Amino acid sequence: MPFPFLKGAWYNISDLSNLSRALLGWVDGWGNDTVAYIAAGLIGVLATMAFLVPSQLGVVWIERRVIGRFQIRRGPNRVGPYGLLQPIADALKVMLKEALTPPAGDKWVFWAAPILMFIPAIGVYAVIPWGKNMAMADLNIGLLYFVALSSLTTIFVFMAGWSSNNKYSLFGAMRVVAMMISYEVPVVVTLLGVSLFTGSLSLSGIVQWQADYHVWLVLLQPMAFIVYYIASTAELNRTPADIAEAESEIVAGYHTEYSGMKFSLFYAAEYTNALAISALVAAVYFGGWYMWGLEQWVPGWLIFIGKLYFFFLVLIWLRGTLPRLRVDQLMAFAWKFLLPLSLVNVFVVGLEVLLWHENGWSAGVTLPAFAVVNLALTVALVYTYARAFGYDRPRAGDIVLRSEIGFVPGPATEGLPGGT
Amino acid sequence: MDGTGIVIAFWVFAAMTVGAALLVVALRNLFHAALALIVAFAGMAGLFVTLSADFLAVGQVLIYVGAISILVIFALMLTPLAGRHNGESRYALPAGGAAAGLAAVVIYAVLNVDWPLRGGEGFDETAALLGEALLDTWVLPFEVVSVLLLAAMIGAIVLVRGDGE
Amino acid sequence: MTMQTEPFIMNIGPQHPSTHGVFRIRVALDGEVITDADMIMGYLHRSMEKLAEERTYTQNIPFTDRIDYLAAMSNNLAYVMAVEKLASVEVPERGQYLRVIMAEFQRIASHAMAVGTFVNDCGAWQTPLMYMFKERERILDLFEMTCGARLTCNYVRIGGVSYDIPDEFLPKAWELVREMPGILDEYEGLLVENEILLARSKGIGVLTAQEAINFSCTGPMLRGSGVAWDLRKADPYAVYDRMQFEIPVGRNGDCYDRFRVRLEEMRQSGRILKQCLEQLPGGQATNPVPLALRPPVGEAYAAVEGPRGELGFYIVSDGGPAPYRFHVRAPSLINLTALPKMTIGSTVADAVVILGSVDIVVGEVDR
Repeated sequence: MPFPFLKGAWYNISDLSNLSRALLGWVDGWGNDTVAYIAAGLIGVLATMAFLVPSQLGVVWIERRVIGRFQIRRGPNRVGPYGLLQPIADALKVMLKEALTPPAGDKWVFWAAPILMFIPAIGVYAVIPWGKNMAMADLNIGLLYFVALSSLTTIFVFMAGWSSNNKYSLFGAMRVVAMMISYEVPVVVTLLGVSLFTGSLSLSGIVQWQADYHVWLVLLQPMAFIVYYIASTAELNRTPADIAEAESEIVAGYHTEYSGMKFSLFYAAEYTNALAISALVAAVYFGGWYMWGLEQWVPGWLIFIGKLYFFFLVLIWLRGTLPRLRVDQLMAFAWKFLLPLSLVNVFVVGLEVLLWHENGWSAGVTLPAFAVVNLALTVALVYTYARAFGYDRPRAGDIVLRSEIGFVPGPATEGLPGGT
Repeated sequence: MDGTGIVIAFWVFAAMTVGAALLVVALRNLFHAALALIVAFAGMAGLFVTLSADFLAVGQVLIYVGAISILVIFALMLTPLAGRHNGESRYALPAGGAAAGLAAVVIYAVLNVDWPLRGGEGFDETAALLGEALLDTWVLPFEVVSVLLLAAMIGAIVLVRGDGE
Repeated sequence: MTMQTEPFIMNIGPQHPSTHGVFRIRVALDGEVITDADMIMGYLHRSMEKLAEERTYTQNIPFTDRIDYLAAMSNNLAYVMAVEKLASVEVPERGQYLRVIMAEFQRIASHAMAVGTFVNDCGAWQTPLMYMFKERERILDLFEMTCGARLTCNYVRIGGVSYDIPDEFLPKAWELVREMPGILDEYEGLLVENEILLARSKGIGVLTAQEAINFSCTGPMLRGSGVAWDLRKADPYAVYDRMQFEIPVGRNGDCYDRFRVRLEEMRQSGRILKQCLEQLPGGQATNPVPLALRPPVGEAYAAVEGPRGELGFYIVSDGGPAPYRFHVRAPSLINLTALPKMTIGSTVADAVVILGSVDIVVGEVDR
């Protein structure tokens, strides 16, 4: 044994919590509670960083490369093999850039905003269940903690926008605030359905429930997944909801005035949030580390990270494909589409849980039945809503082909000769 | 969870809350005062954590730090001179007197009430207990409060609605 | 309950990602709604019209490249047509056909750019623009093949064109023309029914036919508003009277109709190109004219249907080697005058989309 001071199966890579437990056991052996307390925290932070730092560099490369492919370009391919060193070049560039502070701005708030932005971004990782027994802090109220912490971002974005003393920034900040308070509602109501069904607010508990019943929650609550994924994408400020940055409208929104390292902190926080949302989707709706037996052969945390990156890729896909909605349309979408759907979802899920537990039906029959009912309901509701509130399909007659000059009858030529 | 850790945490959060609360009053810049208020809310959440009231702490963050503070900032945006002066006011003296009176009452109550102490470990799961208390034992007051909030919301809508609409 | 507030003045531009150059709109806002819009232009003023009075007629052709750098061929053509009218120069048939081929390729390239930037202004993250660039690149390659330049072509000359096309031009051009309908089907499939694009552009920036005519709008702006007006039909120049094509016209006059009109015009341009390439006669492409051409005293106005609308050149000659007066009827500038009418009452986000649908080239607005 090369490290005789470590006890237990610390070398077992399919459950890294053994290693952390072994290390903690060793520190605990010193007999000082405070040191053990601090060591536990440090191990958690280091483990998070061990995922986040390479991921930060990785996702920058992935996003640039994948977006490049979406846009029939090659993407970065000059720095290192396949452009793999591009993120490092980017990082060096932003570090060497001058960090400007607008002279009429609010200096301290301007300085603090990008740094504080990172607190919720990293804090939410504490409750992410990387694998079985592998959450840094397995809080009883993990889901609520996640939502509460990620809602803090709003304040820091507002601080940035306000302190820049720039009208574009203020615009972006006000848009973020308005959007966040709208989208927080469907997010919370949707996640309520999850905790109703699983009877747990802890993320590990939710994943464990899915492993126990051998089912992913997305199969049981497809509507909740759709609503949650759309709403959380909107909260991330990525297209089609990047109204806070809205390059073509308000330049760069709340971080218009930021440059150098401060700008890249916002950039990194955005990626950290995107990864966190992907992680939550993977854990809550797609079974986390559970993969119908595959976790026996592949370490659960690898399965989880694979799922996480898949959802991050979907975010990139959306960004490379869709135009942006206007602010009022985005708000209307939250209040008129997502919120009713999420309320229906909570109602249906509540009813189902009541039926299931009151009657003591067996899970093997009940869950497939619920899955079918919910899927049918989702398709029907989403389709009806889209028909009722969507835009008319352009008819073939929208564009008229004429071989002679003159007026074409239509709304625009009302009252003109030849018009209607 | 005994010993130094919890004590240090208590004093840090207490200092954070009280210091930030003082800054809210003392700062000249209204926006900075609002930010200090947010720090005070966050300190309160920390104090809840040290009391192993995790659900309350998260609720504090979600509602006070995340939502109420946004409303405060919205209100600030509607005031003229938002970023400038938390200036002198002729209400300073009466407000100070009222605050001192309130503080005296609270301190007196804290010192003189015989608080029942709950021994042993903290709660394991406060969320379930709170849920039962709110929606089972005290469901009527809970609903009454909801109706009150609804009335407040309708009142607000009526207030800001223009004549023509 | 009303509140007294002061107007929130915001400058969109001169340095802004979506003003398509250095152009500035000073808007007064109420929340996000524009209550007043004021266009401030002239940041790119290069005094083209005055400079042209000091140079010979042939030396002025490169200036016209730089007026609208996205439609150099059309600008060359319009100017050269005015000079030819003034000096009564005949152009051989092959030259006329080559001019039409280049002008139509230029229209496709320019519309591709316009559609791409328009969807970009709607908030897409560069993807449509890059798709549109794919075909534009091929057209610019064709231009490079014929005249050595991609943007500032300086190809159309008084009496014809600068060089006849090289041998490898026709196969490449045929290939592109044959693939054009399929490519456009792909774009239409991707963009036309996109729900978000519809939400962003339908019913936005409406200009009725009456208003469009009153603002003297031309090109897709006018056609989007239900007026079938195209100089190629109304006053055919070069060999357009021999071509079979149709004028796409919108019925609602909103941003979406302008966008659709542009897409459909690309298809019609493909039709014209096909006929041109089929009919292309042999023989001389250019009638040589003296370099220091001295047209008789007089004045002439010639206009073509450029990608952005009626692009006209008005030239007065005093019998010398340089024009006495050189005036451009720039469609970008004239279409732009309708912008405050369209933007007031909409939001900032809409204003950007509306500006994108006008499709300005600031080089042409300011000259």
